[in-house]
Amino acid sequence: MAKAEDIDVTPDEPYRRAGARIVRVRTRELFDHAEGVLDTRDIERVHDMRVASRRLRAVLEIFAPCFPQSEFKGVLRDVKQLADALGERRDPDVHIDALRTFSKALTPANKPGVARLIEELEERQARGNEVLAAELERAEQRGLRGRLLALADAADVDDPEDAVPAAAEEPVA
Amino acid sequence: MKARSVKGLDPDAALADNAERIVLVRLDELCGFMPKAADPAEVVALHDMRIAAKRLRYILEITGPCFGPYAKTATKLTKDLQDLLGEIHDCDVQVPETEHFAERLLVADAGALHETAAGADDLDPVLLKQAPHVRDHAGLAALQTHLRARRLVLFDRFLELWGEYERKGFRARLEYAVGERADVQRQQRR
Repeated sequence: MAKAEDIDVTPDEPYRRAGARIVRVRTRELFDHAEGVLDTRDIERVHDMRVASRRLRAVLEIFAPCFPQSEFKGVLRDVKQLADALGERRDPDVHIDALRTFSKALTPANKPGVARLIEELEERQARGNEVLAAELERAEQRGLRGRLLALADAADVDDPEDAVPAAAEEPVA
Repeated sequence: MKARSVKGLDPDAALADNAERIVLVRLDELCGFMPKAADPAEVVALHDMRIAAKRLRYILEITGPCFGPYAKTATKLTKDLQDLLGEIHDCDVQVPETEHFAERLLVADAGALHETAAGADDLDPVLLKQAPHVRDHAGLAALQTHLRARRLVLFDRFLELWGEYERKGFRARLEYAVGERADVQRQQRR
């Protein structure tokens, strides 16, 4: 699993400045992991992106008061939706992996039933991949990365409500 | 589970002062699930406790370096707890899923045998070997047994782990640590 970048923080720095810096790093990490995420032969890619999405979501929630609330709510909703789609793909990945390991310890008579369940989960994995592909496209269309970075920029000024960059505005679609 | 709101957060105030407020609320949320979650039948409480552990872990991972040295230990302990609760949660999800799948195969086999025996006065047990999933039931029963037993084993470990945290003063020590402020310059010189 890819390790999250260590981000230095100091006790005295303003809460919102720290939030801006950390959101930028976690946003970059999320989108860095998007490459090859739909390849079901390498389940670590979707795992890394899912972990990155959870970290980003956690950071957004921790620093929520630092962002302009009208834009923040839409961005958080979109990050949650992407995280859910990553979960749709990841959950069967984990289950299949565990069942393959479990099956190695079984007697030959017990293996077919577990193999049957793995087949069922592979169908779920394929459906999860379709959900994830659609969600990645949606995130792109809605400019999620730009909106996240705009939120960070807004937290980096003295009064976040005075600085709502265009990219932070939620698209209509 | 919706997170409890944290009062008095100020974007312009120091990170550590805001983080201290958040950690204290998240810690209280986590500890508030005990002793209810110590009942193995309280699946929802245990699931919510896992979410609370995750929230506490994330705030500690980000802001732990602002606090006293025990915050680092608490981050690791919280991650260990979250991981264990996650393993138990996986069992809680997989047990009913596996049961549901096994039940579907049983129903399908019963239906297929019903068709095979159409017009007969009774069902000859010899026909069982013609059921489409006859070879699958044993493995699924073994899997269900394993998942249920594993859940019991992991739950015992959870009770043991939480007992150890209580004996070692996890809550009080973390509450104290978030009231301390790390000397960042000294940390950087090391």
